[in-house]
Amino acid sequence: MSLLEVSGVTHSFGGNRALDAVSFKMSVDALAIVGPNGAGKTTLLNVIAGSVHPDRGLIQFQGRDVTRLPPWRIARLGMVKTYQVVRPFRSLTVEENLRLFAELRGKADVDQILQETGLTEWRDYPSGVLPFGLLKRLELAKGLATRPELLLLDEPISGLSRAEAQGLIATLATLKASGTRMVLVEHRLSEILPLVDRVVALDRGRLVFDGTRPDFFRDPAVRSAYLGSDDASG
Amino acid sequence: MVLDRPPEPSAADPRPGWKDRLFNRRSYAWSKRFLDPLFLGAIAVLIAVPVYASGNPWGSFALESAFASIFIMLALAWDFSSGMTGYLNFGLPFFFGVGAFVAGYMSWQDEVTRYVPFLLAGAFAAGLACGVLFAIPTLRLRGPYFTLLSFLLPLLALDFVQAFWWELNMPSLGYWAIPFLGSTPEAELILLSVANGVFLAALCFLRSSHFGLVLRGIRDDEDALLSQGISTFPYKVVAFTISSGVMAFAGASYAMVNSFGGVDTFGFFFILFPVLIAILGGTGELYGAVFAGYFVYLLYANLFPTFAELTLILFVSLAILLVLFLPHGLVQPIRRFIKFMRTEQPS
Repeated sequence: MSLLEVSGVTHSFGGNRALDAVSFKMSVDALAIVGPNGAGKTTLLNVIAGSVHPDRGLIQFQGRDVTRLPPWRIARLGMVKTYQVVRPFRSLTVEENLRLFAELRGKADVDQILQETGLTEWRDYPSGVLPFGLLKRLELAKGLATRPELLLLDEPISGLSRAEAQGLIATLATLKASGTRMVLVEHRLSEILPLVDRVVALDRGRLVFDGTRPDFFRDPAVRSAYLGSDDASG
Repeated sequence: MVLDRPPEPSAADPRPGWKDRLFNRRSYAWSKRFLDPLFLGAIAVLIAVPVYASGNPWGSFALESAFASIFIMLALAWDFSSGMTGYLNFGLPFFFGVGAFVAGYMSWQDEVTRYVPFLLAGAFAAGLACGVLFAIPTLRLRGPYFTLLSFLLPLLALDFVQAFWWELNMPSLGYWAIPFLGSTPEAELILLSVANGVFLAALCFLRSSHFGLVLRGIRDDEDALLSQGISTFPYKVVAFTISSGVMAFAGASYAMVNSFGGVDTFGFFFILFPVLIAILGGTGELYGAVFAGYFVYLLYANLFPTFAELTLILFVSLAILLVLFLPHGLVQPIRRFIKFMRTEQPS
């Protein structure tokens, strides 16, 4: 049984088809969803997390149909999404941001999560005063707070400097090694791909690649999506 | 470094129930909750005002302070639900009026139900019931839709009473001869101050629990809470139900201090003052309502003899200025000052 299975998911915004019969299965520890701007990556992540319900198709998590469930039910089942644009609870401290979710789970291992994400020394600060790099870490920490079975990360390193991004990727690698499974949507391929075991590529709402990392750069459909087709390039 | 994954909850280590979440033992020590200087300051003010009033420095101080206490109670209730969640409830006078009318109705039934504790308990229960009936359908709405519906409540209640008071066997547009809350204004002030102390402690306790964290999270970003597994609806319903009960308790107290509970309790006055007090105190802070409540009401009571009806215009202007220049109220600057004084400065 796959951890996550997406079957024929289609979704339109008005007349614009954002996802067109997208299907894939996830059985690995880390999967990347990539594609050029407007490919439908974030929409797909929102559909999986329940923030947007698809027009057609099926989403199964650990064999259970979660297609029409509200986002909070999906999160309770163990699939939690973090946001590309950070959304901290600004009137709460860093520690309170984590307690909010950690205590749903019973074992409030907030100290360990703070340590894993490098936020221990910031625990008593109001999250509203943190710089952007730390807010990105806090977004990840909030996602980890319920110890989900699957973490959906929407562009976790976007907007970060190269050094900050490397630090966050090292944290993600540590989490992966300790058993946290994740789906990453990201633009910065060269930095994120070493972390993942499998890649799914979208282009204008359609799935154009589903395979391993080495095959990704050799695939003509991927080259076409990123560089344009031979016809178009003249 | 490879970190071990924490163990999954097992049957021997069950997920927390509502008691664990409410009492939130891991998060906050009791000392942290109740040794907050602002909490202690608020309690000190609640003790000091009745003690000062008992000396009777001038005739009307005790009575004016009793009215101020009622507005503080309303502000506490409003701040607990609307201030903490950001869902602006302008239906406050409806619940206040329900409390006044229930106290009036019960006092007209028979001698047994005329006892003050019964009147207060009956009003509180009616407030809870109305609160849950109001909250369940309306709290599925957000932002201006919820606010608009709440705003209509007191207007509907006013029209209803004016249209049907005869059919409802009411003596007039309200009930008179309601028993006094206490034998003297000083006794009434003491009773109201004790009630405010109890409500303040209870609401501050809830505020610092996991329940309170969720309410504050709703104000910051409700969608983010939902996306990470917290269904916010039950939290909102409980918060608004509790605050409706307290508002109705305040309404019954007002009717008993006046010995009359009528349609004036559905008036604009009973939304303006509590909200002004909550803003001046600092929305979501709770403690601030105690300091701001005495200040605002006693200021109003002392300006009224000079400015008469213009006093209300002055207060509306004050409310606008407050929102513009001091949107976080007075408590946050005070809190920052306390933190600054506690921080060791470099020599």
